[in-house]
Amino acid sequence: MEESEATLIRRCQQGDEEAFGVIVRRYAGAAQGAACLLLSSYDDALDASQEAFVRAWRHIRRFDAGAPFYPWYATILRNVCVSKMRRSGRRRTAQLADSHADPSPDSDPVLLAERNERRDRIWRAIRELSPQHREVIVMSHFQGLSYKQMAAALGIPIGTVMSRLHNARQALKKGLAGEEL
Amino acid sequence: MRCDEFKPMLTGYLDGELTPERSAELEAHLAACEACRRELAELTGLKEELAMMKFKEPPDVELERYWRSVYNRLERGLGWILLSVGAIIVLCYGAFQLIEEMIKDPRVAVLLKVGVVALVFGAVILFVSLLRERLAVRKVDKYSKEVER
Ligand SMILES: [Zn+2]
Repeated sequence: MEESEATLIRRCQQGDEEAFGVIVRRYAGAAQGAACLLLSSYDDALDASQEAFVRAWRHIRRFDAGAPFYPWYATILRNVCVSKMRRSGRRRTAQLADSHADPSPDSDPVLLAERNERRDRIWRAIRELSPQHREVIVMSHFQGLSYKQMAAALGIPIGTVMSRLHNARQALKKGLAGEEL
Repeated sequence: MRCDEFKPMLTGYLDGELTPERSAELEAHLAACEACRRELAELTGLKEELAMMKFKEPPDVELERYWRSVYNRLERGLGWILLSVGAIIVLCYGAFQLIEEMIKDPRVAVLLKVGVVALVFGAVILFVSLLRERLAVRKVDKYSKEVER
């Protein structure tokens, strides 16, 4: 029988690494997918998602065992991705003179379970959004965060979450329409 | 209220995040406004499409490798902390012993003793100030994250 998440978290809080292993395996796919949408490369996504699990483990004692793990993890993951983007942004500015090659499909794969042309196109359109729009789309559509959870993760009022998400969806619609032309 | 003010509410309505009063307000507008109805239909379509997109579940072998990698990082974190604490203790102890011996040694010139003590104090002061700067930067960094958005 599968152990409930609350039981697993409580075991983690007592230092049980095997229990954490169960949680990590459970969410690894979702974590990598979300990180891959937020960042530009698969390698960065792999690294960020693992780093976020390490941070979650370090703070697991502070976590309320009755609450769902994933929204909390999603918040940590978002912070890891933001600092990674900031760092690589700095690096990219420094290397501006270098060739401006597109990321190869290998380093930037579409991590979807069932793919078709339309879904690949949506994936790319999300990747083209500004970081601010991208993260609210990922949080709300792919990670199932409520407005309240997003507001807490981003440190902004709920009303701002709603308007930002609205603008992000408009931008996504526009991006998809643009690609069809 | 004008259409523009209702637009963001469409998103909240779609996600079930509006209060009942605001929902009712919007529904009254929708009944009268064709443009907003069309917009809501488009947003609904987009949301449904996105809901169909699920992330790929890695095969068991890959999951195992993934967890091993996370596990190693957990251990490495503890390793680094122990290593740093140990190194600091050993270094401080060694330095203290050396200085004590040198100061007790009558063959060493007084000027050299003063020099070494000044050197040690200088190093400590620089280290503490650097550490304080690092901590301050981290605090600012955390703060700027919120302000930026
Ligand atoms: Zn209207």
